[in-house]
Amino acid sequence: MSQQTYLLQPKISEVMANINKVMIGKEEASLLSLVALLAKGHVLLEDVPGVGKTMLVKTLAKSMDCDFKRIQFTPDLLPSDVTGVSIYNPKDMEFEFRPGPILGNVVLADEINRTSPKTQSALLEGMEETSITVDGNTVPLSNPFFVMATQNPIEYEGTYPLPEAQLDRFLIKMKMGYPSAKQEMEMLNRTSGAHPIESIASVISRDELVELQREVEDVYVDHTVNRYIVDLITGTREHEGVYLGVSPRGSIALMKAAKAYAFIHDRDYVVPDDVQYLAPFVLSHRMILTSESRFEGTTAEEIVESLLSSTSIPVKRNISE
Amino acid sequence: MNGQNQQNHSFIYTLTIYVIGFLLFCEWLLPLETITNTDDVTIFFIYAAFCFFVSFLQIQWWISMPLKLVGLIFIIDGLYIGERLFSRDWFSVVYDQLMFNIQVIQTQEWWQMTPLFRSVLFLVLLWLMSYLLFYWLVVAKRMLIFVVMTFIYVTVIDTFTIYDGKWAIVRTFILAMAALGLSSFAKEMDRESIPSSSFKRVHLWVIPLVGIILFSTVAAYASPKLSPQWPDPVPYLKSATGGSGPGGVGNVVQKVGYGENDSRLGGSFVQDNTPVFEAMADGDRYWRIESKDTYTGKGWEDTLSRPTTTVSASELEYPTFTDNVESEEQKAMIRMERGATFEKLVYPYGLSSLEATPENSRYNLHTETGEIDTLRGGSLAKINEFVVNYDYPSFEYGQLRQTGDNDPAEIREKYLQLPETLPSRVRNLASQIVEGEDNRYDKAKAVEQYFSSNGFEYSTTEVPVPSENQDYVDQFLFETQLGYCDNYSTSMVVLLRSEGIPARWVKGFTSGERIDSETPDYTDDVQNTYQVTSANAHSWVEVYFAGIGWVPFEPTQGFSNNTDFYSDVDTSTDDTETDEGAQTPEDNMGNPQQLEEETSSSDANAGGTSSFNFTWIYVGAGILAVSSLILYFTRFRWMSTMLIRRFKKEGNAENYERAYHFLLKLLAHKGFKRNPEQTLREYARSIDSHYQTNEMRQLTHHYERFVYRNDEHNVQWGKVSELWENLIKKALS
Repeated sequence: MSQQTYLLQPKISEVMANINKVMIGKEEASLLSLVALLAKGHVLLEDVPGVGKTMLVKTLAKSMDCDFKRIQFTPDLLPSDVTGVSIYNPKDMEFEFRPGPILGNVVLADEINRTSPKTQSALLEGMEETSITVDGNTVPLSNPFFVMATQNPIEYEGTYPLPEAQLDRFLIKMKMGYPSAKQEMEMLNRTSGAHPIESIASVISRDELVELQREVEDVYVDHTVNRYIVDLITGTREHEGVYLGVSPRGSIALMKAAKAYAFIHDRDYVVPDDVQYLAPFVLSHRMILTSESRFEGTTAEEIVESLLSSTSIPVKRNISE
Repeated sequence: MNGQNQQNHSFIYTLTIYVIGFLLFCEWLLPLETITNTDDVTIFFIYAAFCFFVSFLQIQWWISMPLKLVGLIFIIDGLYIGERLFSRDWFSVVYDQLMFNIQVIQTQEWWQMTPLFRSVLFLVLLWLMSYLLFYWLVVAKRMLIFVVMTFIYVTVIDTFTIYDGKWAIVRTFILAMAALGLSSFAKEMDRESIPSSSFKRVHLWVIPLVGIILFSTVAAYASPKLSPQWPDPVPYLKSATGGSGPGGVGNVVQKVGYGENDSRLGGSFVQDNTPVFEAMADGDRYWRIESKDTYTGKGWEDTLSRPTTTVSASELEYPTFTDNVESEEQKAMIRMERGATFEKLVYPYGLSSLEATPENSRYNLHTETGEIDTLRGGSLAKINEFVVNYDYPSFEYGQLRQTGDNDPAEIREKYLQLPETLPSRVRNLASQIVEGEDNRYDKAKAVEQYFSSNGFEYSTTEVPVPSENQDYVDQFLFETQLGYCDNYSTSMVVLLRSEGIPARWVKGFTSGERIDSETPDYTDDVQNTYQVTSANAHSWVEVYFAGIGWVPFEPTQGFSNNTDFYSDVDTSTDDTETDEGAQTPEDNMGNPQQLEEETSSSDANAGGTSSFNFTWIYVGAGILAVSSLILYFTRFRWMSTMLIRRFKKEGNAENYERAYHFLLKLLAHKGFKRNPEQTLREYARSIDSHYQTNEMRQLTHHYERFVYRNDEHNVQWGKVSELWENLIKKALS
């Protein structure tokens, strides 16, 4: 289902080229991150440490001339460590707001499931609203604002798993995976001297990114494609292996992501292929499987795939046919 | 499947398919010998084989055409032209033939075409067929249509003609299985890209193929089969193609009116209003031609056509009754029309002499049957106009009832014949009908009346021909009860004979339609003018009464007896009146001698009127069926032409969508079906990778813009239609 054969939007193409200078074999992750970024969404990365999550986000931020902030979530982290805190400045006789890391453009929230729900919600609230409230003051978040949260799938000891309601704040959930042996050797070669991230420059400005985000909103989604999206979402609700299907918010998310994806491919309209490609990333963390299907080892991704291969695609304008 | 794979087929495969095609084609030629008057079809086989061979060589047309032409000329020369090949005379013969036949075609007198010319046309047809089949089988690889057509052809020929297609079907089946099996092999190999070299591992495909064919052939041959749902469709076609009732099985086309041959009766009868003659007479008369004596179970044979005697016009007499019968001298004039295709006399009962005949005319009278050949200058010729003197008989009921069974031995011998195969139920029925009747007349009358009820129906169509083991009369009496004069009259004769009453089957014409009345110059009476057409051809019954002679009976429903009967209740007082014969409208009494007349060949093939002519319905339905079949098989071709035309004329969204989906349908038909879950892009990619192009992707891109962008204004119709056309061509190739 790869769409590499189609040309990318010129600016996106430059960003991708920049990322590829640093990252090796992470085209899909990069692309999905860009989809989330352009759709004004956020990414949840579920992977083991050391596969290049930080590097990806950093490169992304640097390519687009954005502030990069990182929050390492620990069990003792407080909400104010995320949002920032007002400190009394004795010189001015006033409280002075010291902004927290959430006020950056690109935020890496590392191991988000290791902190208390209270702290988690400080971040998640910020992701949902476009502002945070600190000491009764509303502080607007930066624009653009993009969070890439990671959670460690193997360490369950002392973790606070994100509840489902929180999970669907993320537009896309993905895995990075290990590079292939060849890719890893290439990586070693590249990093033997100065790290390539030091040498890259930004290719688009922050304002250009905002403009791109605005353009994504103009991408056309026809009712035929919407119909397909709705069919898929309804499918998750009716699937027998699913306890709780995808919410309407999921439909919106899928449509938004598809718009961004179409835009990245330099198209001003969405085709069902976009939806097909994104559906596993956008939908699988938005449903709760029945305990039977979990027991059988079925994953949410498999269910989405099975829905994709059983939902017919509208190919005529008059979709009633 | 397309050009690039063509070379994959080994030569052997192509040859096999082609040879099978030729053998199937031979099945088309084989029946010709049986169903047409072609004497020898071998030469056509040879020429067809030659043409097929030349086509197979795939040489340039400027070599193959002359080759085939030379073959054609050789055949024509050998068959028809005595002159030395390419000599001056040879050319002049060819030229004459050509000119004559062109003239014939121009005047549309097709039947006049010479055998040479017909053969040429047929050979040219074979030539064309060799082209067509080569294209079909080798280039287009479309075996199925030809196979199906061969099956239809053989079954139709078998059903509607005397050709026995039993083995032809078996042969066709085997050939068809082999051909289809092979071509499906080849297609499979194309699809799976199996190299043709593996085709040479003969046992891998020959054994299963032969096994399957043998098994299915033997199984099909041995298994029990349903009896036909439509036992005898022949009458349908007969009536549709203008066959008259009686006549040979198998010969579908028959003329109305006269047929020489009544040996196979049955089949439908089509009305033909061609005037045969015009008659002036005092009243309605039977116009007799002849009688027949021997019933075979299928029809009538004439075993009494001899002796004959040749007499002059004034001596010609043929009374079928004795002097005991009252009769009145009358005159009638007969003027033959162009529709009379027989050289024999039609005459009323009681013929006593002819007048106003051409000088040198002579009459060959078959004394027993009453058939009178007309001769002029020693050879058969039509007498166009004559006046006939006859004694119009009136039969008296009492007299008829009083006759006993004391028939002369000669009569009994000749006119009680019945075939041994006559089912006993016919005899049983006969005795049942005449039960309670004590004299011959009432018995005959009972049989005559039997047909007017009891479920019999007059019809000239849908009358079946009896099958091989069926008796014509038995079929009519017990199974169909549907028929026209031949059925009725034959049945009456057979029923009477089974009761020991001598009877014979008579053919001729009914009185015809009265069109005028005038006083002709040869008599003082006012006479009616009747027009008699082929549709008036009729058959009826004569029953022998000892001391009286042959008395006509009319069993056919809807027809009335043109003979006069009267009841002599007050014999003593009414003698004189009856002598005048004035009691009934038109009677003449004839002499009780047998007229001596002969006519050599024709019979009146009797028949009533056909109520409806189905010809055009059948022809129309046939054409419709064939053309819809053709349309169906070529649907993608003509539909694509139609769509592209419409599309070019008006490139709008509706046509675009239709065209695109037509392409999808066509591709699905070619084996590339799109799953409903497959996006158009994915599908386009798979199509493109098959055809090694990117046109489907381009076209799909345009279509996507239209369907998912709702953007029909920016579609470049010209470009799109070009892509579409190319893809259609690729798919169809």
